Amino acid sequence: MWINLPRASAFPCCNQPPTMLTCALPLLSDKMAVAAGSGVKVPRNFRLLEELEEGQKGVGDGTVSWGLEDDEDMTLTRWRGMIIGPPRTIYENRMYSLKVECGPRYPEAPPFVRFVTKINLNGVHNSNGVVDTRAVSALAKWQNSYSIRVVLQELRRLMMCKENMKLPQPPEGQIYTN
Amino acid sequence: MAENSGTDPTVDSNVVENAASDGTMIVVTVKTPKDKEEIAISEDSSVAQFKEEISKRFNAKQDQLVLIFAGKILKDGDTLNQHGIKDGLTVHLVIKTAPKTTVGGTSQSSASSSGTPQANSSINPSAVPNASTTPGTGPTPASTQPPNLLSGFGDLSSLSGMGMGSANFMEMQQQMQRQLMSNPEMLSQIMDNPLVQNMMSNPDLMRQMIVTNPQMQQLMERNPEISHMLNNPELMRQTMELARNPAMMQEMMRNQDRALSNLESIPGGYNALRRMYTDIQEPMFSAAREQFGNNPFSALGGNLDSGVQPSRTENREPLPNPWGPPGTSPSESRGTGASTTTTSSAGGTAPSASNPLGINASGLGNGVFGSPGMQSLMQQISENPQLMQNMLSAPYMRSMMQSLAQNPELASQGSNPTAATNPSQQQQQLMQQMLQMFAGGGGGSLTLTPEVRFQQQLDQLSAMGFINREANLQALIATGGDINAAIERLLGSQPS
Repeated sequence: MWINLPRASAFPCCNQPPTMLTCALPLLSDKMAVAAGSGVKVPRNFRLLEELEEGQKGVGDGTVSWGLEDDEDMTLTRWRGMIIGPPRTIYENRMYSLKVECGPRYPEAPPFVRFVTKINLNGVHNSNGVVDTRAVSALAKWQNSYSIRVVLQELRRLMMCKENMKLPQPPEGQIYTN
Repeated sequence: MAENSGTDPTVDSNVVENAASDGTMIVVTVKTPKDKEEIAISEDSSVAQFKEEISKRFNAKQDQLVLIFAGKILKDGDTLNQHGIKDGLTVHLVIKTAPKTTVGGTSQSSASSSGTPQANSSINPSAVPNASTTPGTGPTPASTQPPNLLSGFGDLSSLSGMGMGSANFMEMQQQMQRQLMSNPEMLSQIMDNPLVQNMMSNPDLMRQMIVTNPQMQQLMERNPEISHMLNNPELMRQTMELARNPAMMQEMMRNQDRALSNLESIPGGYNALRRMYTDIQEPMFSAAREQFGNNPFSALGGNLDSGVQPSRTENREPLPNPWGPPGTSPSESRGTGASTTTTSSAGGTAPSASNPLGINASGLGNGVFGSPGMQSLMQQISENPQLMQNMLSAPYMRSMMQSLAQNPELASQGSNPTAATNPSQQQQQLMQQMLQMFAGGGGGSLTLTPEVRFQQQLDQLSAMGFINREANLQALIATGGDINAAIERLLGSQPS
């Protein structure tokens, strides 16, 4: 019953694209906190809107960033992420752009993640930047309390692992074309 | 919702600055991994204007700033509106420490990557995360500082120009270094000294020394492979092993040279080599060469540009004897007055692929004490107790003193039975002891010139009919006193 609730009706005050909803979001997160606490499944769109808000407000330590790829995307499916390469690794001073796709079953199902910026990292396909779900524990053992932020932070943590932190990298600025 | 409330002091002060742009003011939080600032900016402004504000607040250049919002990089030409940046939202900031082109542009480092498949990175050595900005932003901090490879040794940055007049530790370091570079025998003697070996066996110390040199930092900026090399402990250890054993090092250099010449014969190989040379070696050479360039004492040796000339001009020197006893073959003949050529043979002065520092083999005079420059230096030191003080207080000196104390053999050299009452005399003696110690415990051989050393052999050679004393001497030096080999050399070169 919750799941199919049209988004518009949840916000009687404004009926506009997600970006304009920031004013109404404090209300949403309160509701969600209550809902999550009582064990109720939170609807996909509510979740994603909250994540959108967090992305815009810079929740977290500032080393990852995420947001909608297209602000007019009503389905909140295609997202863009950015990971700032951790210091004292070979990824330092570089910014890695990613595409995150939250399917219809999100957050029950993990999102699809792929790198746009070329990177040499264990678990990322060399040819197209697709992140192997089995290689990232947050994706492999996905829980619906996880979020895009968690995935991005996990990838950043992987960059700091001994086995990854010194891998030779392609020149800066290259992207995957397929 | 984004109205300028007027009660916000930050906004008030910034209104004047942003007077040019219309629109309501919004306060945007700019967050770096370390820092957070609130910046007021007009809603309609462009990313470039925003960056201007940010560069003021964060004290960084505009082209070093990279802004990220909602997972996207903000390009200068965009507007804040375009990305939906509103009041109260957070934008992430990354300040690039390197002045290379930002993400999206082809960085120069890709051009300078060598033919090897090593990839580029913009990694900065972790030991000097802050200092790395200096070579980045000011490409010649070294213009105020004569470049000095040994600057890691207790770097005293107080500098007062060149010339013998300055009582300055840096000066002495430089001159010592020049001496070092110009005389391979002295180098090998120094290497043999257990004190030095002690120091070299500490990989961290070596790495620190190398890394803190601004020259090296520049090099590492441009050539990430070097920082790779430094970061790899295995490789460091190997290199240090080599450095410790000069014979082995020369062996390896010869092998490398031969391998390189093989490479040349591969089609297209020459180009790769050439590329490698220009990309890797040139910066290193120019770094090393600068020392020679600034060196007013280089004239002392009578051998000048050979450090600069690539070994393409005709080479009259006999090639090193590959089967000769190790450590003797590469010791070059001295640039005596008679020798007209200023070129060097393979493995000699001209920086080759295996000898990036271009260790100049033509001696300035055998040994540390032979050169007038060094002598006056010592004089100066003994006259100036302050300099002595400075030298002693340098950190590496302390560690040297420690190992000195531990090593009874060396300590005995240091202690002088005839204790002088006059403090300046004492210092002088101490200095001499120390310098002698540097040169190694090899007895008095250092102070003898080759002529004296090979006197007996020279006599024999002239008795046999080899009249040309100069050539004899050169041959003897090349073969390290081996008469038979020297004879063969002389016979080989006579028809020419």
